[in-house]
Amino acid sequence: MISIDNISMAYGSPPRTVLDRIDLEIEEGEFVCVLGQTGCGKSTLLRLILGSEQPTSGRVLIDGKEHKQPDRMRGYVPQKYSLFPDRTVLDNITFGPELCEFRLLSRFTPAYYRRRNELREEAMGYLRRIGLRATDAKKYPDQLSGGMQQRVAIAQALMTSPRILLMDEAFSALDPATRRGMQALIRDLWQSIGKTILFVTHNTHEAVHLATRVIVLAKDNPEHGSRIALDLKVPETVHEDDIAHLVRKLEAASQESDSVASPNEEGSPQSAAVRVG
Amino acid sequence: MSQGILSIHAKPPRSLVVILSWFLFGAGILAYFYTAEVRHRENPEDRVTPTAKQMAQGMFDAALKPAEEDEQTDASQSFVNRFLSSMLWKDTKATSKRFGIAMVLLLPAVMLGLHMGLFPYIGAFFLRFVLFFDKIVALSLLPILFIAFGIDELSKIMLIVIGVTPTIILDAFNLTKGVPNEQVVKAFTLGAADFDVAYRVVLKQIWPRVLNSIRLNLKAVMLFLFAGEMIASTDGLAYRIALLRRHMGMDVIIPYVLWVAVLLFLVDLSMRMLNKWLHPWFREA
Repeated sequence: MISIDNISMAYGSPPRTVLDRIDLEIEEGEFVCVLGQTGCGKSTLLRLILGSEQPTSGRVLIDGKEHKQPDRMRGYVPQKYSLFPDRTVLDNITFGPELCEFRLLSRFTPAYYRRRNELREEAMGYLRRIGLRATDAKKYPDQLSGGMQQRVAIAQALMTSPRILLMDEAFSALDPATRRGMQALIRDLWQSIGKTILFVTHNTHEAVHLATRVIVLAKDNPEHGSRIALDLKVPETVHEDDIAHLVRKLEAASQESDSVASPNEEGSPQSAAVRVG
Repeated sequence: MSQGILSIHAKPPRSLVVILSWFLFGAGILAYFYTAEVRHRENPEDRVTPTAKQMAQGMFDAALKPAEEDEQTDASQSFVNRFLSSMLWKDTKATSKRFGIAMVLLLPAVMLGLHMGLFPYIGAFFLRFVLFFDKIVALSLLPILFIAFGIDELSKIMLIVIGVTPTIILDAFNLTKGVPNEQVVKAFTLGAADFDVAYRVVLKQIWPRVLNSIRLNLKAVMLFLFAGEMIASTDGLAYRIALLRRHMGMDVIIPYVLWVAVLLFLVDLSMRMLNKWLHPWFREA
């Protein structure tokens, strides 16, 4: 579904390479976590898939086509500023469909009010599903806690039925208890709706608990851009011991990047996906 | 931790806060009337510091009698009719009309700033020019404006536009740039087109701050308007103040100055209330 074809990304002048010749294939319905240390280019990779930035070289293909601007196919949940502060919770959730279905003049027709009520009912359904109360619907984002805001942001993104959901450190600012709740929620949502999810995080435990596949980005040299240091399939059911083993393995991959072999060499990390189970 | 009056952590009681906030008003009024009293004792014909009675009479005349240049009205007319043909009403109406036109002309400035902040080509086209234009002292253009546009209304309106619009354009531009990129990207992922992002996402978010910016520039708008009226006008509050200055008519000038301050205060207050009513989500920093 998503093909990342030999992309590199550099910023600034003189150019500083952040990502270096990344190749990646993501299948429909996968839950992929991108893991790595701060500054390794996780969010850059997400923005390239999102289409809000263009790679210095290489291509990002979705179903074989390049999409050079963000669109409805790819939902987005950033770490902060997810919600529009001038809209209530309900208006935030229905904003996507309203943008697409209603033009300025259509607001004066009875069909508009009929459809708007339908959308509001659908949004209320999402609200219940993400664990918010009906009374929260009329609140503005700054009246909600960080966790509630992120729940609403997920509902807002799902309301437009994107094929891919891109989440950039979406739970990083939350306290541990809220974070665990949000992890359970996104995992449940993924299992029920079957969307492709790309989740950027620097938290190894979160990656192992959430994903069906974890990709670790790391630099093999501080002067170079990041490459894929490990591409790991996570089995559906894992024992506690296995989780500890996986976490150690992922942390080692993201921290001891000097020992990572070049992807061009035989047995490169990209070609050797590790299946545990 | 010190709790003295110069302590950051001091918590003055509410009654004291009220007294303190009105103190300078009271002190100013007392100082004025004391000075007026002393000067009038020395010279009963003193015109520099009119007494309260003189000012009340001056304001009464201004509010209920027509201007010298107008036809005199019948004293038996109703209070409202006398007020509507009075000097004060005529001047307030003339100044308010110019002020209103100038405020309406600030809206395109907001829209230009918004588009400059969002669309890189428009930004590249206008930004340098507006930055340069912002540094021109508008009052220095006054002679040029009078030559180019004559001494009619247009030159006075243009003076306000030239004096204030660059600031508003740059404010709107900076506010637009201040909207987090995540919001713009998010809007696109929800299906927004470029102009949806401009008008349904960014403009709605910056609008309360733009209104605040306009509010803070009200005094500048009035300043340019007064400069224009004082130099070339046949009506308006500033025209009247300039005219009365020749006759040392302080008994009317002082109430006029206070009237202008009250009007500006009311405009500011109504804009603040409008902002609060239109944008209940907005929390001022």
